[in-house]
Amino acid sequence: MKTKPTFIETLLLNKKAKTDLVQKAKIAGRTFFNKNASLHRKIAKIGLAFFLCAAIFSLAGTLAAFIQPAQASMQREGFFISGGLVDAQNQPVSEAQITALLPGNDQPIAETESQEDGSWTIEVPRVPEEELLVRFRRPHFKSQTFIMRQNELNTLRQEGIYRFGSYTLERRISAGFWIATLIFLGVLLAIAFEALHSTTAALTGFSLLFLFSYVASAFDPDLFIFSFERGLGYINWEVIFLVMGMMIIVAVIEGTGIFQWMAFQAYRLSRGRNWLLVLILMLITAAASALLDNFTTMLLMTPISLQIGLALGLNPLAFIIPEVLASNVGGITTLVGTPTNILIGAYAGIGFNDFLIHQTVGVLIALAAMGAYVLFHYRKEFAQQGGGISPTLYQKLEQNAKLEDPNTLWKSGLVFVIVLAGFILGEQVHMVPAVPAIAGATLLLIWLKPDVHSMIKAVDWTTLVFFMALFIVVGAIQEVGLLSFVAAGMSGLIGENLPLGIFMIVFGVGTVSTAIANIPLTASMLPIIKFLSGTIPGAGSNVLYYALSMGAAMGGNGLLIGGEANLVTAGITQQTSTPISFKEFLKVGLPVTYITLTAGFLWLLIHF
Amino acid sequence: METTILCLTRGGRDSYPNQDRAIALAKERATGLLFLYVSNVQFLGLTASPVLVDIETELDEMGDFMLAMAKERAEKAGVQVMTTVRRGVFRRVIKDILKEYPIQTVVMGRPGLETGITTTEYINELVQEIGQESGVEFIVVHQGEIVNHFNHEES
Repeated sequence: MKTKPTFIETLLLNKKAKTDLVQKAKIAGRTFFNKNASLHRKIAKIGLAFFLCAAIFSLAGTLAAFIQPAQASMQREGFFISGGLVDAQNQPVSEAQITALLPGNDQPIAETESQEDGSWTIEVPRVPEEELLVRFRRPHFKSQTFIMRQNELNTLRQEGIYRFGSYTLERRISAGFWIATLIFLGVLLAIAFEALHSTTAALTGFSLLFLFSYVASAFDPDLFIFSFERGLGYINWEVIFLVMGMMIIVAVIEGTGIFQWMAFQAYRLSRGRNWLLVLILMLITAAASALLDNFTTMLLMTPISLQIGLALGLNPLAFIIPEVLASNVGGITTLVGTPTNILIGAYAGIGFNDFLIHQTVGVLIALAAMGAYVLFHYRKEFAQQGGGISPTLYQKLEQNAKLEDPNTLWKSGLVFVIVLAGFILGEQVHMVPAVPAIAGATLLLIWLKPDVHSMIKAVDWTTLVFFMALFIVVGAIQEVGLLSFVAAGMSGLIGENLPLGIFMIVFGVGTVSTAIANIPLTASMLPIIKFLSGTIPGAGSNVLYYALSMGAAMGGNGLLIGGEANLVTAGITQQTSTPISFKEFLKVGLPVTYITLTAGFLWLLIHF
Repeated sequence: METTILCLTRGGRDSYPNQDRAIALAKERATGLLFLYVSNVQFLGLTASPVLVDIETELDEMGDFMLAMAKERAEKAGVQVMTTVRRGVFRRVIKDILKEYPIQTVVMGRPGLETGITTTEYINELVQEIGQESGVEFIVVHQGEIVNHFNHEES
């Protein structure tokens, strides 16, 4: 039977709070009166009145606390049934409605909801003689009833509590399941075929989900998907704040001209050796992508690389395509290198150090293999001797690649190093990466005093809205059980074979993300990977998350539409008479994709 | 201000023959030559990633570099040359330039068949419209050869 410690504790706490308040009032009162009493008398009276009020409220609170626990203690004379709810994949089922019923009576005698971890406790006022029905209901699950018979009821009667243990709820394919699935696919296709801006596509999905959940379900309850509050619960705020902080930092760094300067230095260092130039450019791009993001890196690297290529009288695409391929792979090394890594890190609790330790060598191997292929593919271009560059053009190139603001560069560079240190050391105190990112951004705003409005404008709200809406759209297919079915299907295929699991994730995700935007793909794969990590022996090392990270990023190299960095690079080259064509990209990108996927797969096999 | 030939160019190897055609024409007619580079960042409209970079300035600098290359070629041929980099929609920019400079002839490349961001239909329609409005001669070239010639005064 339950005791009454809570009530006693509550009472003591309230008494202590009251004593503290009175004590404070006395001290404050003395302080007031010790000063010039005549001058402050009125203020002191107000102060005294305030503390008296506080004391009265405290007393009232104590009384309320006394009455409530008293009521609670009376209720605790009842009997408790507790348990946990999980789905077929052993994942907790929250917000399920649990009701206790007497046979032949639809009016529940008690009801409750399951918690985030699937646990629930229901209190019944009395134990019936013969049977007690415990019914579990939740949208997208079959309604199930457990009948408590004599044995269970006897335990409940004698011990005052009956523990169910874990109870598995079966999924149900509802009309809402199909609606959520169609909306998710619609969003994916709208993004893939550029029918809508990504943010608009995700927001359209978001709106449709709730229109069905609230309006359509009023006509047919089976169309319900989830409540607004439940939908918001799927937003990963850690991702949102990390992306926001990094946006401000990047916005400051990009204006310093560091990328253009590095590209020009690569040109100077290579001294006419084109093969060396492309390798240095690839390394710069990969490193920059690891620390910032590959989209911004390519926005900055493409124009200057085009100029270098044209100035040398060579096909600039022989530099630019390898750069974009390297940027997609280089970002895998760190938590902040790709949006997909940010998603994975926040979801699975994989930190900056983990990515660095477990991915860097694999990425370097992949980059080396990629470099070898690129040199082979463009061997004719690189063997060509350019016509040399005129002093006027050299001067112009140098001017376009000069450091714009060295003062800002060293300050922002220092802050960036501090942020990186925050990522690395923060894990010791369980600080999420969003904290150093936001703190670093704030430090930059204080130190450099840039126009705050322009800095806030640098935060791309459309991207943040895209992430938020996307989390909800992916949350919907998780809610209705689509991801559980996919996870179960994959689990059936993989069994307990970890190498097969790694292979399937690396190559499967890699192949799909050649054409499908990897951000929604990764977001939807995360719950599946979580499930597989729990079922495949040895997968608890997070190896499948790293496989997802590699597959999603490397797959982006397969097709021109595979990644945003590819698209933006193509967009810039379209401003010249040497645009990247779909075919041109495919010829290099597809072989590189599978070369790097193989390198990544082998590394994961060896390392784990 | 003496009459001028306007050459729309995107820079790069494929545009060299067309630039050479414009240079030859300017030399033949003994007129000045204006190279125009138009940048447009509409391609960023469909991306979800944040555009934190002042990409328009980057493209201006790139365009400026392309035009510096074209200018070197023209000056070597002894043609008086000017360059200008503009942002925005192609049609609007051409109309503005025609108001600003005494343009007699416009030389422009045919859209690339596979990778072009405009179509032949669009260019033909543009040439008709602006040609009729301004009376300017339009010459559309591909790999240095004239593929379309529109002269409003003659027609």
